[in-house]
Amino acid sequence: MVTLDTSSRPVRRAASPTKRQARTAWGLTAPALTLMLLILLVPVAVAGLLSFTNYSLGNSGFDWVGIQNYERLFTRSTYAKMFIATFTYVVTVVPISVGLGLGAALVVNSMGRIGDIYKTIYFLPVMATLLAMAIAWEFMLHPSIGAVNRTLEMGCGTWLETLPFFAKGCADGFPLWLGDRDYAIWVICFIGIWQGFGFNMVLYLAGLTSVHRELYHAAEMDGAKTGWERFRLVTWPALGPTTVFVVTISCIRAFQVFDTIEAFWPQGGGPNKSAYVMMFAIFEKGIQQNLIGIGSAITMLFLVFVMFLTLIQRWLVERKVHYG
Amino acid sequence: MAQLAINNITKTFGDTSVLKGISLDIQDGEFVSLVGPSGCGKSTLLRIIAGLEEPSGGHIMIAGTDVTSTRASDRNLSMVFQSYALYPHLTVAENIAVPLRMRTMNATQRLPLIGRVMPGASDKAKEIAQAVQHAANVLEIDLLLDRKPGQLSGGQRQRVALGRALVREPAAFLLDEPLSNLDAKLRVQTRSEIAELHRRLNATFIYVTHDQVEAMTMSDRIAVMMGGEILQCAPPEVVYDDPDDIRVAEFIGSPKINILPVERTERDLFLFGQRLPLTAKLDAPALLQIGLRPEALRLTKTAPLMTGQVAHCENLGSEIFAQIALDEHTGRVVIKATPEERHKLSLGAKVGLGFAATDALVFGPKGKRLRDIEATACSVSEVA
Repeated sequence: MVTLDTSSRPVRRAASPTKRQARTAWGLTAPALTLMLLILLVPVAVAGLLSFTNYSLGNSGFDWVGIQNYERLFTRSTYAKMFIATFTYVVTVVPISVGLGLGAALVVNSMGRIGDIYKTIYFLPVMATLLAMAIAWEFMLHPSIGAVNRTLEMGCGTWLETLPFFAKGCADGFPLWLGDRDYAIWVICFIGIWQGFGFNMVLYLAGLTSVHRELYHAAEMDGAKTGWERFRLVTWPALGPTTVFVVTISCIRAFQVFDTIEAFWPQGGGPNKSAYVMMFAIFEKGIQQNLIGIGSAITMLFLVFVMFLTLIQRWLVERKVHYG
Repeated sequence: MAQLAINNITKTFGDTSVLKGISLDIQDGEFVSLVGPSGCGKSTLLRIIAGLEEPSGGHIMIAGTDVTSTRASDRNLSMVFQSYALYPHLTVAENIAVPLRMRTMNATQRLPLIGRVMPGASDKAKEIAQAVQHAANVLEIDLLLDRKPGQLSGGQRQRVALGRALVREPAAFLLDEPLSNLDAKLRVQTRSEIAELHRRLNATFIYVTHDQVEAMTMSDRIAVMMGGEILQCAPPEVVYDDPDDIRVAEFIGSPKINILPVERTERDLFLFGQRLPLTAKLDAPALLQIGLRPEALRLTKTAPLMTGQVAHCENLGSEIFAQIALDEHTGRVVIKATPEERHKLSLGAKVGLGFAATDALVFGPKGKRLRDIEATACSVSEVA
C-alpha cells in the first residue's frame, strides 16, 4: 500500500501543472483572441449575414432575400462589367509590375552607388498619396491642354506619322484617355503599374541580398557563362519565396484598386463603366447608394478572391519554394 | 589533368598589396597546399587561379596555355567552396549534374519540360545520370541523391560539393578550406578521404587551408604563405625539419617551436652565457635566434643547457607537453616528454634541459635561416 501511494502521488502532481499551464496559456491568448474575434471575424460574419438581406442603413428592419443579391451579381450587365474591369486590371497590373519590379531590382542591384538614386526615384510613387497623384495625372491626361497629348502632337509632321496611331491622332485628334471607354481601364492599369512596381522592386532588392554570393562563383565554375544562365541557375530559384510573396501582395493590391477611379470618375466608374472595379462597386452600392445588402455580397465575393489567393500562396510556400 | 604554372602574380586592392609576386609550379597529379594565417592572400591566389578574380599582374598557365585572360568557366577547373555553395533548390543528384548539364547540353536541351524532348537530350541525360551515379558511389552518397542540401548534415554537404567537382574531369581541383566547417572528428576522417581520393584520381589538387595539420597530412608539397608571399614551398617533412624562415618554423608545428636568443662571440654561439656545441662563420650576425622543436628538447640532469621550473603540463596520454619557465629568460619553452617522465614534471619542479646541436635551427636576426652553422661533433655526443 505504501508503495502504491508514493507512485500515484507524483502522477497526480505531474498532471496538475500541465493543466495549470494550459489554463495560463488560454488566459494569455484570450485578449488577442477576443480582439481578433471582435474586429475581424464578427464583421466578416455580419457582412456575410447582411449579404442575404436588403438592409439599408437607417432602416429599422430588413427582409431576408436569400441569394437574390448574389444572383444579381452574376446576371446584371453592370456587374459583368465590374468583373471584366477588375480582372483586366489584375491580369495586366500584376505580371507587369512584378516583372518590372524584378527587372529594376536586378539592374539597381548591379549598379552600386548610382543604383541608390534610381531606388529612390522608383520608390517615390509608392510613398506619394495616390489620390494626389491621380489629380496630377488627370491634368496630364487632359485631352486638349494635358501634357501627354501636347507631347504627342509634337510628333505630327515627323516620321512618326507613318505609325497608324499617330496618323489617326494627327488627323482626328489624340485619344480622350480618361473619357474614352477603350482607353480608360488601360490608363488606370498604367498608373497602377507606375505606382506599384517600385514597391515590388524594394521587395525584390531585399530578396536579392539573401542570395549567396558564392553561388554565382560556383555557377561560373560549373560553366554558366551567360547572365541568363546564372539567373536561371541561382537568382530566380533563390527569389522563389520573394516572388510568391510579391505576386500575392500585388494581386491583393490590384483587387483593392479604388483611389484613382474615385478621383477620376467620382460619379460612376469610368466611361460606360469600363473602369468599374470591385472596390469602387462596394463603395458605390454600400456607401453612396446605401444598398448594404448588395454591397455586402460584393464584399464577400472580394473576400473569397483574396482568401483564394492567400491559400495559393500558403500552398506554394509550403510545397514548392521552401528550401529550408 | 594538367600542369599548372603561376607566374609572378600580383594583386592589389586599392593601396593594399595582397599578393606580391607569387610564382609557383605545380606538376601534373601533385597535391599542393597553400597554407598560412588568415589574410595572407591564399584564398585570393586560389580565386585568381580559378579565374574568379583578376590578377593585377602576372600570368597563369594551365598545361602550357596562358589562361590569364580566360574566364573562369572556360578554364576547365573544378572548385570546392568553403561554404560548399550548393544550389539549395536542386537535389543532390541535380547539384552534381549541373557542371555536366552546363557543359555538354545546349541551351534548348536544358529548358525545363520541353528540353527533354529535344533531339539528343535523352542520350545526354542518360550519360549524365551515369556519371552522377558513379561520382555518388565514389563518395558514398548514392543514398542521398534525392535529397535537397537543406536536409543534409555538414559532412554530407561537403561530399556533395566534392561530387560536383569530380563528376567531370577538370584540369585541376581547387579546394578552398573545404574542411573548416566540419567538426574535429569528421575533419580528421574527411582529411584522409580527400588524400585517398587524390591518390585514386591522380589529379592535380590545390588545397587552401589555414590549418597546418591538414597541410602536413595531405600534401605532396606545402606552400607557406605570409604577407602576400610564398615563404617556402617544399614537401611537408622539409618544411617541418628544415624551414627557410623563422615564420615558417613558427607557423608549422604544434605546439609552436621554441625560439631563443643566442649570441655569437668569434665562432662560438652562446645561449644564456653557455657555449653551445655549434660553430658559426665569422661574418654571421652577432645576435642570432635558435629554434627548437618541443621534441628536440629533453630533460637532463648532467650539464643542462637551460634550467627552469615546470609551469604547466598537458598530458595527452601518449605524450606530455610541459611548459617550462626558464630561469635565465623571461619566456617559457615547451617540451615534449614521454609518459615515463611524468613524475619529473610535477608543477613547480626544477628541471634541466638539453638538446642535440643538430636539432637546433639557427636563424638570423631578421628571421632568415642560417645554414652554415656547424655542429661540433664531440659536443653532440656529450649532450646526448
